[in-house]
Amino acid sequence: MNPIPALKFVGRVALQNILRNRGIALASVLTITLTLLGAGVAVVVVHALDGVLHTEESQASVLKVFMADHVGFASEVNLEQTLGHQAAVAKATFENKDQAAQQAGSSLGLTQAINLLEKSGAGNPLPASLNFHLRNIKAVSELNREVRTSALLDSGPHPTDYNADVIPRLERYIFVAQLGGGLVVGVVGAVALVIITISVRTAAYVRRQEIEIMKLVGATDWFVRWPFVVEGVIVGVISALVASVILLGVGVGFGGGHSLALGVGVRFAALIVLCLIVAGGALGSVGSFVGVRRSLGT
Amino acid sequence: MSISTSPPAPVVMTGAGSTELSRSEPPIIVFEKVTKIYANGQAAIRDASFTVRPRDFVFVVGASGAGKSTVIRLLIREERATQGHVLVEGQDLARLKHRHLPRLRRKMGIVFQDFKLLPNLTVEQNVAFAIQVTDPGRPHLKEKVGEALYIVGLEDKLSAFPTELSGGEQQRVAIARALVHRPRIFLADEPTGNLDPDAGWGIVQLLQQINHRGATVVMATHNREVVDLCRRRVLAIEDGRIVRDEAEGAYLRDGDAIL
Ligand SMILES: Nc1ncnc2c1ncn2[C@@H]1O[C@H](COP(=O)(O)OP(=O)(O)O)[C@@H](O)[C@H]1O
Ligand SMILES: [Mg+2]
Repeated sequence: MNPIPALKFVGRVALQNILRNRGIALASVLTITLTLLGAGVAVVVVHALDGVLHTEESQASVLKVFMADHVGFASEVNLEQTLGHQAAVAKATFENKDQAAQQAGSSLGLTQAINLLEKSGAGNPLPASLNFHLRNIKAVSELNREVRTSALLDSGPHPTDYNADVIPRLERYIFVAQLGGGLVVGVVGAVALVIITISVRTAAYVRRQEIEIMKLVGATDWFVRWPFVVEGVIVGVISALVASVILLGVGVGFGGGHSLALGVGVRFAALIVLCLIVAGGALGSVGSFVGVRRSLGT
Repeated sequence: MSISTSPPAPVVMTGAGSTELSRSEPPIIVFEKVTKIYANGQAAIRDASFTVRPRDFVFVVGASGAGKSTVIRLLIREERATQGHVLVEGQDLARLKHRHLPRLRRKMGIVFQDFKLLPNLTVEQNVAFAIQVTDPGRPHLKEKVGEALYIVGLEDKLSAFPTELSGGEQQRVAIARALVHRPRIFLADEPTGNLDPDAGWGIVQLLQQINHRGATVVMATHNREVVDLCRRRVLAIEDGRIVRDEAEGAYLRDGDAIL
């Protein structure tokens, strides 16, 4: 069989189907657009939430390693370099005793107490520290375990410090947000699939005479099925484009006309549009495949 | 192959002669103790056995509900036999895989009482449809469609729509569409059922002509006049059973017909 006339035939019948059943096609575009919009909004919201959580996470993902006072600069640099080269470490900074005092003074209001201690000759009680900024919140406790074996550490009861309590809570938030978003996308996808299946089944019913004749004169399942699959893909992709335009329009609207709302970048927006098109096409083809099966009697 | 637009050889021009010739060939259709019980428990064919030789012309006759259409449906494998075997060209249809169904259907021309034309396509497009959905790249599509319409005598109605044609003409379009694959077997289920006697007779003559050109024809009918005029082979069905099989039969048993 020559593929080019076959493809022409399939494309022509698919377009004819859409035009002939304009009402059904329009209704499916509408509903699939709505469902894809739901999915798109869910993805954007989860993404934005994820962004917020990641900012929080990166702020929380700091491991402070307090140095014993006797440790020399070379040893500190050595420790900083061995640990700082690990993949999980984004950045390592050194905070000396004076900076620590300043930090404690400004953030805790202990300036007077520290001044008093220094004046009394006891010196600055705050240790110098190496601060490791980690890429991933889970890596913090691992690095902590590793670094605690070092002899260079402050001998106090808390030789290292990190936000132990905030970490699991953030992880839980991220998990819930991802789960919720995934659930929305899944449900919405299932709804769209059902809608396409029903609409193709309706289209196949409208064309039942044609399908009957096709089978009678010896057309293969391929010829019966593919116009519907192509029709489904066309409807799905059109829906995706409409949903994308609406999504982008609303995004620009809320973003004040210059940029997109919720900190969505151009690349992420393009990715969403691409995903919607792929999802629309996939929904359309799978729905059609299922929808036309009854007509084929397989 | 069997049907061609070039003048047929003299030996297949006469129906009687072809029957003689086909005696030595294996049967093209075999029903072997076939029983068909529909899903609702209705038995439509009961233990039916018969064979059809190549180039035979067979009337399947019987009252409404006797099981004539079921015979046709079993032959195109729209239905499967519940028991027994249906063979077409030696192929047991029970063992035919779904994906090989199109191959079977392309060997057959099939027409029905209700023509089954697509109302929004012209005569030419209706006939071309059969090629487009099976072999869209086939060369000389227009010529082949023209040939088929020439055989049925509608070469001057190419761009008419089915609603602009008489019943007889519509059935001719359906026959032309069934001819484009040059079928070796031609099946007709009550093809004259919706037609006035003249148009019906025209269709039967056309089927005889197709038979003369070499195709095996099986026509299910309860049109008594036609069967009696033709004097071809008659298979009579009553309540799913083959009750009579005569080489040059009438609609009713010859004895009954006199009454
Ligand atoms: N799809 C079906 N389901 C159940 N019963 C059927 C079906 N088709 C036909 N029948 C029954 O089978 C019997 C034979 O039907 P059919 O072959 O159509 O007879 P005919 O064509 O001689 O009028 C009838 O009693 C009819 O009611
Ligand atoms: Mg019938």
